[in-house]
Amino acid sequence: MRSFSDFDPIALTVYFFAAAGSAMFCMEPVNAVISLLGAVTLYVVRSRGGKLRTHLWSAGLFVVMALVNPVITHNGKTVLFVFNDDPITLESLIFGLTSATVITAVLYWFMTFSQIMTSDRLLYVFGALSPKLALVLSMTLRYVRLFRRRWRQTQQTQRALGLYKDDNIIDSIRGGLRVFSIMMTWSLESGITTADSMAARGYGVCRRTSFRRYRIRRADAALIAVSLALLAVICTGIALGALHTDFYPEFTLHSSGTLTVLCHISCFVLAFLPSAFEAAEAIKWKYLQSRS
Amino acid sequence: MIVIRSKTARDVLRCVIPFLLIPAVVLLGAAVFSEKRHAFVSLAVAGLSVVLFLTGFERQKTGSRRLVIVSVMTALAVVGRFIPVLKPVAAVTIMTAIYLGGESGFLVGAMTALISNFYFGQGPWTPFQMLAWGLIGLFAGLLADPLRRSRVLLLVYGVVSGIFYSMTMDIWTVMWYGGGFDPQLYKSAIIAAIPHTTAYVVSNVVFLALMADPFGEKLDRLRVKYGV
Amino acid sequence: MEILAVKELSFTYPQTNAPAVSDVSFSVRRGELVTVCGATGSGKSTLLRLLKRELSPLGEQSGTLLFSGTPLPGLSDRDSASRIGFVMQDPEQQIVTDKVWHELAFGLENLALPQQTIALRTAETASWLGISDWYDRDVAELSGGQKQILNLASVMAMQPDLLILDEPTAQLDPIAAAEFINALKKLNTELSLTVIIAEHRLGELIPISDRLMVLEEGRLIFDGEPRSVISQLRSRPELMCAMPAAAQLYTSLGFTGEDCPLTVREGRNFIEQHFRRKIKSLPRKETPAPAPPALELEDVFFRYDKHSPDILRGLTLTVRTGEIFCILGGNGSGKTTALSAVSGIIRPYSGTIRIFGRRLREYKNQSLYRECLALMPQDVRTMFLRPTVREELSEHGAELPDIPFDISQLLDKHPYDLSGGEQQLVGLAKVLAAKPKLLLMDEPTKGLDSHAKLRFISLLRKLRNSGMTIVAVTHDVELAAQCADRCAMFFLGTSVSVGTPDEFFGGNNFYTTAAGRMSRGYYENVPDVASLAELCRLNGEREDAR
Repeated sequence: MRSFSDFDPIALTVYFFAAAGSAMFCMEPVNAVISLLGAVTLYVVRSRGGKLRTHLWSAGLFVVMALVNPVITHNGKTVLFVFNDDPITLESLIFGLTSATVITAVLYWFMTFSQIMTSDRLLYVFGALSPKLALVLSMTLRYVRLFRRRWRQTQQTQRALGLYKDDNIIDSIRGGLRVFSIMMTWSLESGITTADSMAARGYGVCRRTSFRRYRIRRADAALIAVSLALLAVICTGIALGALHTDFYPEFTLHSSGTLTVLCHISCFVLAFLPSAFEAAEAIKWKYLQSRS
Repeated sequence: MIVIRSKTARDVLRCVIPFLLIPAVVLLGAAVFSEKRHAFVSLAVAGLSVVLFLTGFERQKTGSRRLVIVSVMTALAVVGRFIPVLKPVAAVTIMTAIYLGGESGFLVGAMTALISNFYFGQGPWTPFQMLAWGLIGLFAGLLADPLRRSRVLLLVYGVVSGIFYSMTMDIWTVMWYGGGFDPQLYKSAIIAAIPHTTAYVVSNVVFLALMADPFGEKLDRLRVKYGV
Repeated sequence: MEILAVKELSFTYPQTNAPAVSDVSFSVRRGELVTVCGATGSGKSTLLRLLKRELSPLGEQSGTLLFSGTPLPGLSDRDSASRIGFVMQDPEQQIVTDKVWHELAFGLENLALPQQTIALRTAETASWLGISDWYDRDVAELSGGQKQILNLASVMAMQPDLLILDEPTAQLDPIAAAEFINALKKLNTELSLTVIIAEHRLGELIPISDRLMVLEEGRLIFDGEPRSVISQLRSRPELMCAMPAAAQLYTSLGFTGEDCPLTVREGRNFIEQHFRRKIKSLPRKETPAPAPPALELEDVFFRYDKHSPDILRGLTLTVRTGEIFCILGGNGSGKTTALSAVSGIIRPYSGTIRIFGRRLREYKNQSLYRECLALMPQDVRTMFLRPTVREELSEHGAELPDIPFDISQLLDKHPYDLSGGEQQLVGLAKVLAAKPKLLLMDEPTKGLDSHAKLRFISLLRKLRNSGMTIVAVTHDVELAAQCADRCAMFFLGTSVSVGTPDEFFGGNNFYTTAAGRMSRGYYENVPDVASLAELCRLNGEREDAR
């Protein structure tokens, strides 16, 4: 079954930047809510519900961010109640809620994005920009995994030498520093072998290329085109004031025209595109299975 | 094919970004996004300048040993972010920059932000972090000689860069939350971030003090032994 | 056809007087498999590196090097990189990228080959070497042996005419090493690839070699067909100890000639043809009265995560005071984990561990690590922090006179400038500074050449005779056969058999030494070549032999 993550990584990157960007840069409650719903749905669909802890953490962040604004900003004319001699206003609360919705939506978009952007895909995207950079990235990723293992090994050796205990914070920081130094020496020295191995295999003979294991198909081009077109509609809406919202002194949505509706529809399509794709593919798969 | 295959195309892109794209983005952002322009413009500028620096890296010939050292240092900084409380990222960036030049320093700082955020959470703050750490490296590279000569200056640079990093990230927090830049909010953000700022400053000082001698020694050793 | 011609090659490192390679001449024909051997420091590595331009050390060089008739410096960068392949010792550090597919493609990317060619070559190489299952894996998930196969594959993807390997199996366990040698044999016989390999574990390599070259102090002292070279080596025990067990037996029994057995099969035939079978086994050594236990494990269970499988599954084991105890077993059998549990680094979730009669958790406040127990890690580099050996030692309060071996000439060197064997000694000195009564060692002979290994074995005996109890985890069956008082075999987290080397290696069918395999079914309870030779002498030659 094809899933959304099987699109070309460049197409995926364009899509995610469009989706997250359209939420981030228009502080408009309706679009914000649509984007948040789309982002959460995609996350839930892709990770089969996801971890409860992640959702609770996001919800907590949402509440805090929604409440920070009314506590700090006292603009707005509808006073709800007075707290610590400061007026808490409805407008300020709505602004906080909108802001929190936008931020939470972006967080969810990025969570899915980093799930999908495995190192292979990331390298491919960077390889298009600069093959050498992609190489450094790949080398670094290998070292990160290697160092995390070496870190454990070194820590164990040092502990068995009886140099420090693990049960107090000072010793554990001291130990961390010591392990860090040992790793630095070890890694720089052994890096020479890696450099030799690179030279032996022709690094620097000529400007290198990046081996690409993905290629842009028609569907990928379509995804890029659709994402950019929808983003363009939303940007036009923002530029022409169709999504303009006043929070202070009184909360007003200037949302009446056709363009506003068009913007909301675009935002909806953009936000739910991947979830719809996954659902359609799942149905198609079931259908094909039942026929065979 | 979107992949930029030809060298000329990449070179063109490199000229287009600084001279056309960044000003265009700033103007467009100002025109289109009216009051929300700060967040958009700053993010776009951060992103584009990082791209600019990184493509500049492609242009020059880099020996395999330098490339290995850059990746080793980046990986050490990433792994070091797992140490409780003390974070060696800025210190590693500074040391690399002093010995291998500002460009390598920028690369280590920017890549550390990019890669470690796959473990610590990716988000729109990533370009800011990349730029902030990258710039710390870049300036350390410019000041390489005095920093190498004077230990006090090095530690002062560590303190300054800790504060710089924290305050840069606070700008982003404020802009992201409010859409625009609100000095009131910025002041409270700075106050709220004091514990973090302190941790950055202390980390930088501790790691710089710890690394300064051995790191220089090690690189000099490699230079003598293998002719890096 | 001659693919490589070396004439009067000499090389001197800067700031040294003695040449590392002096006046070496030889030539290699296409399709030959040439093995180069010699002690550490004999100039093997330097010679091989001089054959690969990108890796040639800086220094003073004279003589000529012709590759396919072209002088080596005259090759284009591209030809030099792709037509001469080089595989180094350390499986981990040669890998450049983070994914198997990317590593295979790395060299081809450097040559800026077209996408189609890269796709084809990586696919072809992976399929032929049988590693296509790994294609998408992270290199970090591979074992040491798999990593080395990957290094071989990624060099082969560049389609070299000449493959040079510098001790490629030194860091591998015996099973992985045999697999690697098999892959090499396949490349040599089926693709007629020319191979030059330096190695000190020669058991599997010599039988497939066309030529054996022996280096000593930078000079090529022997060069020829393996059997004839071996017959010339009989007066050189320090070189002979690296040869296959069958050949060692042959020369130690005083045989000479061109029919020297090289493999286990040939060795067995040699014994059956030449020796009688009156006495089946050597008289048993008297087992000393059991000493009090130094280390007891009882039903120890351990796992890393709540949901991961058990690594130790009810491990029960007793080590007696004053013995050398070797723990053998494959990868993942829990050997190293058992050591970590004993040294208090990890905590089992069930079972008890007693050290000198006291439970592990009764050792409070690091007292375990003071004059009681010490752990020598598998990788000694996890211990080195200081720029000189002297500072390394003084950090732990190690005094030169207390160290039971001589490292005085290493004191002012950087720990990373030492050879593997020397690093091992410095590590051991650091560990011994805590004056342990129980010494735990993890793979102590990894990467040591045969001669260094022999010295290490005598050092272990010396430590034991001074009253220390030694527990060594090892893959090296020959080590266990030569120095252990008792051995245990681990499998899936428990100890499945324990015994003295004679019982242990005489009883095992596969997991035993070459001498054990050669004599199995003919003689009994033979752990090593020395005892086999003694047994042959006791039995005497058959009348109908020769």
